[in-house]
Amino acid sequence: MSEFASSVVKTYNETASSSLTLSDLSATTKAIVRAGQGTDAAAGLGAPFGTSRVVDGTLVVGVRPTEWVVLGPAEAVWAFTDAIDNTGHVSKIDFTHSRALFRLTGEDAPKVMEKICSIDWADAMMPDSAVVSASVAKVSCDIIRNDVDGTRSYFIMSDRSSAQYLFDAILDAGEEFKLGVTRA
Amino acid sequence: MTRLPLQPGEVIDRSAPLNFTWNGDQISAFTGDTIASAIMANGNRIFARSMKYHRPRGLLTADFWDPNSFVQVGDDPNVRSAHRLAEAGMEVTAQNVWPSLDYDVKAANGVVGKFLTAGFYYKTFMKPAKLWPAYEKVLAQFAPGGKVDLNTPHMYHDKRYAHPDVLVAGGGPAGMAAAIAAAEAGAQVMLVEHEHLLGGSLLWGTEADRAVAAELVAACEAADNIEILLNSTVTGRYEDNWCAIAQRSHPIAVERLIKARAKMLVVAPGLIERPYVFAGNDKPGVMLSGAVRRLINLYAVKPGQKAVVFTANAAGDRAAEDLTRAGIDVVRVVDARNGGNIVAAKGGAKSVESVELGDGSTVEADLLVTAIGWTAPTSLLNLAGDRPAYDPVAARFFSSQLPDNILVAGGLAGDGTTDQLIAHARDTGELAARRAVVIAQTLQRLTARAVNVDGDIAPMPADDRTTLRRDPHPELHRSTTHGLVDYSEDVSSKDLFSAAKEGYDSVELIKRFTTATMGPSQGKLETVNTVAVLAEARGETIAEVGTTVWRPPYAPITLGALGGRIFEPVRVSSIQPWHEANRATPILAGQWVRPEHYGDPAGEVRNVRENVGIIDVTPLGKLDLRGRDVPKLLSMLYTNKWMQLPIGSVRYGVMCAEDGVVMDDGVTAHIAEDHYMMTTTSSGAAGVWEWAENWLQTEHPDWEVHITPVTTGFTSINVAGPKSRELVARLTDIDLDPETFKYMQVRTGSVAGVDNCFMWRIGFTGELSYELHVPSGYGLHVWETLLDQGADLGIKAFGLEAQRIMRLEKGHFIVGQDTDGLTKMPSVGMNGLIKLDKDDFAGKAELAISLEQTNLPKVVAIQTTDPTIVPEEACQIVRAGTNEIIGRITSSRMSPTLGRSICLGQVLPEAADAGSNLTVVMTTGERITAKVMEHHAHFDPEGERLRV
Repeated sequence: MSEFASSVVKTYNETASSSLTLSDLSATTKAIVRAGQGTDAAAGLGAPFGTSRVVDGTLVVGVRPTEWVVLGPAEAVWAFTDAIDNTGHVSKIDFTHSRALFRLTGEDAPKVMEKICSIDWADAMMPDSAVVSASVAKVSCDIIRNDVDGTRSYFIMSDRSSAQYLFDAILDAGEEFKLGVTRA
Repeated sequence: MTRLPLQPGEVIDRSAPLNFTWNGDQISAFTGDTIASAIMANGNRIFARSMKYHRPRGLLTADFWDPNSFVQVGDDPNVRSAHRLAEAGMEVTAQNVWPSLDYDVKAANGVVGKFLTAGFYYKTFMKPAKLWPAYEKVLAQFAPGGKVDLNTPHMYHDKRYAHPDVLVAGGGPAGMAAAIAAAEAGAQVMLVEHEHLLGGSLLWGTEADRAVAAELVAACEAADNIEILLNSTVTGRYEDNWCAIAQRSHPIAVERLIKARAKMLVVAPGLIERPYVFAGNDKPGVMLSGAVRRLINLYAVKPGQKAVVFTANAAGDRAAEDLTRAGIDVVRVVDARNGGNIVAAKGGAKSVESVELGDGSTVEADLLVTAIGWTAPTSLLNLAGDRPAYDPVAARFFSSQLPDNILVAGGLAGDGTTDQLIAHARDTGELAARRAVVIAQTLQRLTARAVNVDGDIAPMPADDRTTLRRDPHPELHRSTTHGLVDYSEDVSSKDLFSAAKEGYDSVELIKRFTTATMGPSQGKLETVNTVAVLAEARGETIAEVGTTVWRPPYAPITLGALGGRIFEPVRVSSIQPWHEANRATPILAGQWVRPEHYGDPAGEVRNVRENVGIIDVTPLGKLDLRGRDVPKLLSMLYTNKWMQLPIGSVRYGVMCAEDGVVMDDGVTAHIAEDHYMMTTTSSGAAGVWEWAENWLQTEHPDWEVHITPVTTGFTSINVAGPKSRELVARLTDIDLDPETFKYMQVRTGSVAGVDNCFMWRIGFTGELSYELHVPSGYGLHVWETLLDQGADLGIKAFGLEAQRIMRLEKGHFIVGQDTDGLTKMPSVGMNGLIKLDKDDFAGKAELAISLEQTNLPKVVAIQTTDPTIVPEEACQIVRAGTNEIIGRITSSRMSPTLGRSICLGQVLPEAADAGSNLTVVMTTGERITAKVMEHHAHFDPEGERLRV
């Protein structure tokens, strides 16, 4: 089978030395889990709405009150989701191909986001591991704060079809902060 | 030159000279000069002509609010020259003058000025109405303002969202002190100052004043939690302290609109000096005290040679001192506090030459400085619901009732020494910080993702500040003569009296009738004088007259800033790189960029009919439905039955709203136990999702159904044509035997090595076809493999246009094109799909009635008598020999397959029977004849080709 093709198809000069970077992680496996609140499945997922947690090599993201996205390497994601209790009405769907996934990392990341999204990025309102759904440059996105070694970092997850537009919009917003592109 | 020697507080950098042109003349300036200060330093006193009478105008306030100094800078019109800093190479010109600023022919308006009273335009050009186009052309020649160059490239206007704890509007001493105190209390502070430097009036004050300013500025700049925005204006305050800030000082963007959601807003804009109304008050050389003090102290510009100072306060006294120190002959100081007055500024049109005083004497002077009081710029408070009250003792307005999230500091709050005002402002900042904590904690508690707040949240801290005093000030608005009230609009006190006499005696009416306060100063200089003159005309007090309602923006804002960054998301499929590389003509369908055709849509149709073609149909809405109650949901959404759809089958359905109007259609496949895949129209995907969720969440929360939109998770490719089976068989492990994989069935498997694909047999084009849905990460791979493997079969890609032609040949209607917002299901000829014996479904009650109605229009297939004529879509169908409309063409194309024109249309039932003759009115007005066909399908009505 051929390689997974991201919908970010333009070629960018990579600037690995930049302290503010944007990378395309769209090939990351993503699974959606739907389950009712208070169910065993919800307890097993363990990331209430608006939060995320790292577990068994995956990132479990509470994107909606009854909906989670599990991100990570394919084996880890499917191992984790397979283990989720199926009692009641539980759905598990491969969402890898539906969503683009970017990571914006650097201390100036909130300044970039301030230009394209109306959310308050202050620590108190959007602490590490917090999750929010919002319009980013007019595209509906799920945003997860996932700091890297104490440095601000956001996962930005959008519909795949708008990915190229969104990637360019973030780069444009970050130009004044010297935002660079790095390989995933 | 009128440049003074080094001034102790000057902000110009004499080591950095620069040059620009003013009406073609070279102007020498220094870095730090405003355009106006530099022009004045070069000996010029006239900057503009007034709007209506084209009277010469000189500087009045010499700051952001100056109404007399709008200029054109290159292709940038209406630039505030007393605010914009001079830059090397600028080409600055006067606006709306001809042939020149010095000799402006339009000044002839002044000769007939007595006839151009308020309301002149309304009264004069109303009748006869037919002459308005001619009036308009002439009046346009007198429109004020600069010239917009339509070829100016689009500049970068930025946008930003901010959430400061405390937003301070105003960077004078009070604003700075409040910001510092708030920051010291731990708040994140945004400090906004509309001038280029912090400091406010202290900058042109005494040495002690400047020392205080320097100390405050240093403290602001040293605080990590104070963000300073210079040359920026808080232009509006809306619900929940949502504040708009126009930032003109951004390093990259020309302008930036900041949308700040401030927990607390501290309003500290200072006071705005008010002009005095008297005869000749718009002559060049009449200036406010703040103007001369700025010119002398900040820019080292000598504003005149011989001055009269009319003063009612300390600012006027200090202006007299500054003038004397700068070597200007202050020939008379007229003190209003001792009963002094001025009556008129006299002289030629271009300069004051003498001043007539209240005692009857006349003094020669080329400069008349007034300092008669202040306007409190309460706009932001009004926008928060405050109705400021007039205090006749202090002769200005004060806030009366503010919400908890707004505080006032500085001159807006009261009077005092600099130290007292700073102390009060510090208390204000500290209180703002404490209140911001309470508001922040409340927000956190309301926000699931935020840091949890333990324990009870404290009540909102009470306002425990010491109240500032209010110093008495003479009430001075108009002298014994008439003069201008609104410099921007050329409205005089006489105009206001006349308007009041005509019955426009409400302040809101007089504003609109005369346009007083409606110019670019936004009433900052004019409102109080307008109210005062109206009060005088009505014989009432200012408090009794009241003020007009202040509305945003606080200061004019450019359209570019309001437009901000242009976000126009587009959506593309995973095959878009191939479409672009193969020169597809793009078409925008909603946000989707789709290939309309690849150069020859008719050829693409023929190839599908004869060989095999592929089309990218990814935008087709796709909803993954899981759960044991999916059949119930489908039965509720669609008009037909779904409880018994076998696994592996696909069914077509039409979705109606509660009023029976067709809202969408599509096919749904039963893929596995409790797992279905619904497709919707491309444009209907989001709407159907919402509609389905609405039924689930509000009507049937007990149903176990999960709906997940997966439109772009699958790249959808329709492989169509008589050779499609042969082609697909080369790529898939799915058994394509027509005996086991029949029309309207679905299978899952791998395609081109890609697992987890599903395909179904449906026939929008009317040909044998397989619709492949492959995980999008491999969509391009499958597309290219199809093209590669189908080369010997004559495969070609086809676009949206070819698909539209083929569906029209087959007579398939498109929701929204062949139907409209009133088209009920019985109109589309699918009554067999309306199952009234179901318990319930959306639209059932209405459709039960509609099925009995005999007057609903019908969607029918239509062919023109002349097969070469293709009527445009939306052409009307009329009753023969009349203009009575009985229908319209909804779709039309030239069919490459049939070699003739084909249409769908909606007609009234009387004309809907097969064989009915129709009259179609072409867009040219020509009438042609056409006929209603027996079947919707113009081609292969029995559907033999797609069932093979």
